[in-house]
This record gives sequence, C-alpha cells and structure tokens, in this order.
Amino acid sequence: MEFFIANTVSGLAYAMLLFLMAAGLSIIFGLMKIMNLAHGSFFILAGYVAYTFSRSGMNFWLSMVLAVIVISIFALIIEKLFISRVHGSETDQVLLTVGLVFVLGDLALWIWGGNFLSIPVPAIFDFSLDFAGMTFPAYRLFVIAMGILFAFVLWYFEAKTRVGMIVRAGVDDMEMVSALGFNVKIIFSGVFIFGAALAAFGGVLSGPILGMYPMMEWEILVNSMIVVIIGGLGSWKGAFIASMIVGFVDIFGRIYMPTFAMAFIFILMVAILMVKPTGLFGRVES
Amino acid sequence: MKKAFLSTGLLLITILILPLFISPFLVYLSTEILVFAIFAMSLGLIMGFGGMPSLGHCALFGLGAYTVAILSEYTANIYLLLGAAILISLCFSIVTGYIAIRNKGVFFLMITLAFTQVLFLITSRMKFWGGNDGYSASVTANFGFGEITSNMGLFYMMGFFFVLSYFLLKLFVNAPAGKVLKGMMENEGRMIALGYNPKTYKMIAYLIAGSMAGLAGGLYIYKTQFVSPALFSVHMGAEVMIMVFIGGLGTVFGPALGAGAFVFLQNYISTMTDRWPLILGLLFIAIVLLKRGGILHLIQFVTTFGLKLFKPSRSRNAPVDKQVKGKEQAS
Repeated sequence: MEFFIANTVSGLAYAMLLFLMAAGLSIIFGLMKIMNLAHGSFFILAGYVAYTFSRSGMNFWLSMVLAVIVISIFALIIEKLFISRVHGSETDQVLLTVGLVFVLGDLALWIWGGNFLSIPVPAIFDFSLDFAGMTFPAYRLFVIAMGILFAFVLWYFEAKTRVGMIVRAGVDDMEMVSALGFNVKIIFSGVFIFGAALAAFGGVLSGPILGMYPMMEWEILVNSMIVVIIGGLGSWKGAFIASMIVGFVDIFGRIYMPTFAMAFIFILMVAILMVKPTGLFGRVES
Repeated sequence: MKKAFLSTGLLLITILILPLFISPFLVYLSTEILVFAIFAMSLGLIMGFGGMPSLGHCALFGLGAYTVAILSEYTANIYLLLGAAILISLCFSIVTGYIAIRNKGVFFLMITLAFTQVLFLITSRMKFWGGNDGYSASVTANFGFGEITSNMGLFYMMGFFFVLSYFLLKLFVNAPAGKVLKGMMENEGRMIALGYNPKTYKMIAYLIAGSMAGLAGGLYIYKTQFVSPALFSVHMGAEVMIMVFIGGLGTVFGPALGAGAFVFLQNYISTMTDRWPLILGLLFIAIVLLKRGGILHLIQFVTTFGLKLFKPSRSRNAPVDKQVKGKEQAS
C-alpha cells in the first residue's frame, strides 16, 4: 500500500506535467488547426533556460518567471516568422515543425551539451512530508497542486470569461469568429504564446523531477500527443483526464513491466480510438 | 502502361551501366542510396498519392531489418529472409493501417508516430536483441548463383530490387486503383459520391508501401550487417520524409532522386561538421518556406521549357501543368 501511494504521487506529478504540455498542444490545434510538433522543444528549452538562470545565481522562482517570458517571446517570433505561413497545409506544418525540433534540439545540444542536467529543487520545498508512516517529497506535491490549480484556472478561463468564449467559438468555427469582427491574427498569436507559455511552465517545473537531456523533446511530445489523442483535440477537460490516465499507466507500467510500459498506454489509446475516434471529449472531427 | 515499361527499361539500363562511370566509393554509397530509394518511394506512394503523411514509416523499414537480422541466426536462405521481412511488415501494416486509416492528416501522423515510438522503446529495452547497443548480424546474400560479397555485386542486387519496386509502383499508380487513390486525395467527397470506399483504396496503398518498406529494411541489413533501435527513431522517419520532399512529392521517381541527394549530402556534410541535425532542420524549413517542389519538378520544368523552345508549334506542357497542380493541392 505504501508503495502504491508513493507511486501514485509520482504518477500524478508526471500527469500534471503532461497536462501542461497537452493543454497547449490541444488548444493550438483546436483553434489554429496547427499541429505544433515543436511544442516539446518549448518544454525542454524552458528547462534549459531556467537552468542557466539558476546557475547564474538567481533563485528558482525568478528563473522560472524569466524562462517562461523568454520562451513566450521566442514562441511569438516563431509564430510570426514561420507558423503563420503554413496555415491550411498539414504536410507543410509537419515538415516545418519537425525542422524546428531538429534545429532547436541541435542548438540545445550545442549550448548545453549532451549530459543530463537538472534544476535544483527550490529551497522552500526541499523537504519531505511524513504522513501515516510514509514520506512524500514536498516538491512533487507542489507540482500536483500547481497542475490542479492550472486545470481550474483554464476551466474558469474557458467557461466563464469573454476571451474563453471567443476561443471556444473559434474551435468550432474560426471563419465565423473572424466575420464577427475579431482579429484572427491576434487571437492566433495569443493562443500560440499562451500554449507555449504553459509548456514552458511545465518544462521548468519538470526540471527538478525529470531533468533535461537530448531527445527528451520527442519523448515528452509523443506522450502528450497520446494524451491529446485520448482526451480529444481542443478539449482541456479531456487533456486533464487523459494525462492522469497516461501518467498512471506510465508510472505503474514502468514498475511492473518496464519493457512494455509504453505499449500499455498505446493499447489503451488504440482501444479508445476504436470506440470513439475523436477521443474521449473531442469536439474536433479527426 | 507503355510509359511505365519505357521508363523502367531506361532505369534498368542506367543502373546497369552506372558503375562504369563512377568511382568505387560512389558505387559503395549508391548501394545505400538504392536501399533508401526503395524506402522513400514507398513513403512517396502514401504521401504523394494517398495524402497520408507518416512520420512512422521507418517502423516498417526497421521491422524488416530486425526480422532479417534475427532470423539470419536460423537460416541463410535469402528468399526466406526477405519473404519474412515483407510478411512481418505487411502484418504490422495491416494492424496499424486498420487503426490509423480511420483518421486523416495530423491524426494519422500522430498515430503512426506513436506506433513507431512503441517499437523504438521495446527494441531499445530488449536486452535479448542487443537493446540500445543494437544487434549485429552476419548475412551474405546468395540467390542460388554464388555469394554476393563485393560492393559491385551488392550494387546490382539493390539495383535489381530498386527497378522492380519502381516498376510495381508505376504499374499501381497508373492502374485504376492508383487513379482512384489520387482522386481521393484531391477530392475525397466526390470520390465517395461516385461510390468508392476511401478506406479500401488507402489501405491497399498503405499495405503496398508497408511491404515495400519492409523489403528495403531487409535489404539494408545486407549492406550494414547491423540493426539498432535508431531505425525506429523519429529522426529516421523525418529523414525519409525529407527525401520524399527533396525529390518531389506526388511523383513515383522523385523520392528516389531525393534519397540520392540526401544520402550524398549527409555523407559529405557529416565529414565536415557535427551539426548535421541543424543543417537538416534548416533544410526542412527552407523547403517549406520556398514552396518550390522537388528536384523532379525542376527537371520536368526545365525539360518542358526546353521542348517548348525547340517545338513552339506543339504544346507539350499540358501534362506538367497537371502534375504541378496536383502537387500544389497535395502540399
């Protein structure tokens, strides 16, 4: 039982990181119809940037904020320079974003080297909670809390605010939204930056847990893609539930059958697709 | 149909006389090019004619390679080994195709990518078959008339399979089924209205491409004698995708040209710098932003332009216009 609960905590923490990634991926696709394969690169670059800031003496929180800002600006540049030119063509999007992943991955390898790096756990959370004879690393609990908080904020934002309403309408029919006089370019840029910022936030949070290493962007991208497929594109609720499923299956699969951990998630994905091709809560036709 | 025979004949002659004109090193490099040409042409079929972008096509290539490498412990019969490679890839395509083809575009891509990633993780954790370090196999090709060990022999062996694959693909593309497939890509709704079931035709193309990639993977082992999980990596999937684009999407022969250009470039650039992925990525971005089509489109443009100069009375540019249009719609 202790073993089970301890792993539940790490599974949940991993699920929250996946959720932050998948929420951005899902909303960018839902609204802009852009499959951003470079989303994983935002995640890992944020980790690297925060690592550099924290190495230069800044504390965890400041380097987190700075890293998120840096990545957001970077995402704005990417969106304006490249992504805005490939609307409507799926193969172009795939090629372009795969190219970006290669370029960014190689630049990261160049700058930060090929070794495993990790950000030190912030001092406030550098302790373990003892509860009912079990110990929980406080930082993981913090990550879970942040994930739930963000899920709530996103839900509120989507369901209750005017901006959320525009976004919801855009997922269903972007042309109509632009016909009603909303500036599509600004909405697109805003959503793209917001998604990138979410990924960057997740990337910095994951720094003390998962660390950063070359080719990690693909690993995290594929996992969050599976989350998006299971949860359904354009749905934050789906992303949240699916990331819990994937996080749990991944952590427990790794413990009980390390070789086939991924295969479990995958069989699950296939099963869900067979029953419901749009994913659990998908609104976008696949 | 006549054209298919003609172009295959030309290709066969080119392959036969090519080693007379190029250096031994280029012959050695060309064996690799020919293997990747088969692989790229198979992806070119589903991407250029079926509108199914796959980042996971390397799964089928890798499966073919692993099959030959593992089974070579038990038998040396090349017919059996290559047959098994094709069969395993075919079975895998049936399973993945059945699930992936229900979805279009980006969903198709994500699902094929996920399948490939699973194979990558499984092979890299299988200690039994070498895990991350890969698996060496010593295989010698023997079709019943002596062992093929020289570079020249390997070149002709790959060349034979390359011409064969080209011919089969050309036949398929020109056959009614191939035309229906292309019609699906350009206007699926209309083809459905005409009474065709898109899934059937896409599946046929997917299975052909899958078994061809398996064959290429099986042949690859005869060149390298080594398999590793890197065959299943996204890098591999993206590399073969770029071959298709460099060569010319929407043509049968284009991807083969792209494979040639790519392997050639990779060999020269990697000797000069370690930053190959960076250059590769920039190449991807450049190709998308320039939107100029591939090498074959360029050749077609130049030849029709030349023909126009010499024969102003007979307009020969109609077929090319059509192809360029097809390409625009595809991209």
